[in-house]
Amino acid sequence: MIKSLLKGFITAWFVATAAFFCLRLSPGDPVERILGAQARPEQIELYRTSLGLDLPMMTQYKVFLTNLVQLDWGKSLFKDKTVLELIREAMVPTATLAIIAVSLAFIFASLLGVYAAKNRGNIIDHLLRFLTLSALSFPIFSLAPILIILFAIQLGWLPVSELISPLHYILPCLSLIIPLTSVLSRVIRNQYLESRGEPWINVLKAKGLGDRAITLRIYKVCLPTILNVVSMQLSVVLAGAMITETIFDIPGLGKLLLGAIENRDYPLVQGLIIYTSLIYLLLYVITDIINAKIDPRLESVK
Amino acid sequence: MKNLSLEAKIGSVLCAFYFIWGISFAIWLNFFGQAPVPDMTMELISPFERGFLLGTDIYGRSLFAMLSAGVMHSLGFAFATALSSASIGVVAGGIMALAGSRISGFIEGIANAIYIFPTVLIAIMIMSLWEGGTFTLWVTLVAVGWPGYARIARGEFLRVRNMPYVESARAIGQSPVKLFYKTMLPAIMPVIIVQLVLGLSGVIMSESTLGFLGLGTSEYSWGELLSMAKDVILEAPFIVVTTSLTMAGIILGLNLLGDGLRDALDPRSTGDKT
Repeated sequence: MIKSLLKGFITAWFVATAAFFCLRLSPGDPVERILGAQARPEQIELYRTSLGLDLPMMTQYKVFLTNLVQLDWGKSLFKDKTVLELIREAMVPTATLAIIAVSLAFIFASLLGVYAAKNRGNIIDHLLRFLTLSALSFPIFSLAPILIILFAIQLGWLPVSELISPLHYILPCLSLIIPLTSVLSRVIRNQYLESRGEPWINVLKAKGLGDRAITLRIYKVCLPTILNVVSMQLSVVLAGAMITETIFDIPGLGKLLLGAIENRDYPLVQGLIIYTSLIYLLLYVITDIINAKIDPRLESVK
Repeated sequence: MKNLSLEAKIGSVLCAFYFIWGISFAIWLNFFGQAPVPDMTMELISPFERGFLLGTDIYGRSLFAMLSAGVMHSLGFAFATALSSASIGVVAGGIMALAGSRISGFIEGIANAIYIFPTVLIAIMIMSLWEGGTFTLWVTLVAVGWPGYARIARGEFLRVRNMPYVESARAIGQSPVKLFYKTMLPAIMPVIIVQLVLGLSGVIMSESTLGFLGLGTSEYSWGELLSMAKDVILEAPFIVVTTSLTMAGIILGLNLLGDGLRDALDPRSTGDKT
């Protein structure tokens, strides 16, 4: 557990440093780019001093790290709010979307994956394999417009854009759930099949355990691998949630990031990248800890 | 080829189709035609009308020509990127498996840090801050792509390192460099090739994701085309549909081929051998 915390901490530092140097070493003068070509030299000098960009690199780096730890992430260049305030506001829709999508996908994938594994080789297993592979061939930004055409324009069943009623959540969530369920159900099916052949299953059978109880135990053995895949997929979910937001016009982190990139709002871009990475790393570490709790073997191997 | 599954066969047919499509468009472009140019008088024409097979996009460019250029661009870029990542990854994996513990530990640390970090986020960060062109994108995707290959190559090198034929090669005094690329590399190639095929579809996905977010480097990027198409989804849903299907075809082809090859190579794999 200490080891995974340490690993997460080191990677977090790595990310922050990468973000810092990417910004400072990027070609061209950021101040000139922010102020535009018409700015007078005195203005540029003044702005540079106010941002602290005239100090030596290592001093800047020290200031950057201190501010980062003290949660002073600077102000947006265009909106009259601090970076953290903006992030806090945009957090809610993105988190809602991601949590609904991940939990539903987890449930669907478990049911489908175990079902496919138990009926290996029959028509439904093949159908599922075909469907999941096809679903994975459509990136989210092509899947979501297709869902809109299908359900909102052609059939007229569901509303698009913004999140006013629960109905508005269906399409954005669906465009995240479909790819995630596809990946997970394939993993679960293959893991289940692999574990099913192990000798300890025979002991359970000999003990006279019912089919359902055995299925549950096999599933539990597969759980660490499944959770690992979920945590690897979280970056896809985060990126996917951002893309989904731009398509469905949801005021979340993704829209904030895209707007910031377009406006060259560097403090906001930097803050958002670091923030999302930290969230992602936190979840990664939590998965590690949960896995060690479920399967004590993992702790001792490490 | 006989023991390839049906899936792998479908996959290779799909891939071959796209290769021929891309290459023939490139040849046609070189000798006869010109790249699609904006022409606002031809805006959003429906498929099969006024001589446009698939209609036109919002700038009045023939959608078929745009998609063909996209095939050429995506495949070319994917190959350049995936091959470079794989080469760096194999060498790094070899060093991780064969070199002394200090060097290998150092490289492994870097590889792991990059590996757990979300790829798309790094790419978004670099591309938005550096505003580079195709070259920057290539460097970025190679930089985040090689650890995946390195991890696999490392495992494979560890597997073959102590095989009898490698020991004999070492015993007759083969130099370490020759041992690496002449004796051990051919043994691990199949696994790397499978990874490369799957990696190609990964690069196509990443490249078009960035294109969709407005960080792309080519106007022929499918992502960019889709981000335009989503704004006119009511007037011209056909752009979304045809672009998505074109893109899905090559990704499906590569994934099927990669999965099929892996199943054929690895008898333990639980993927179905139909």
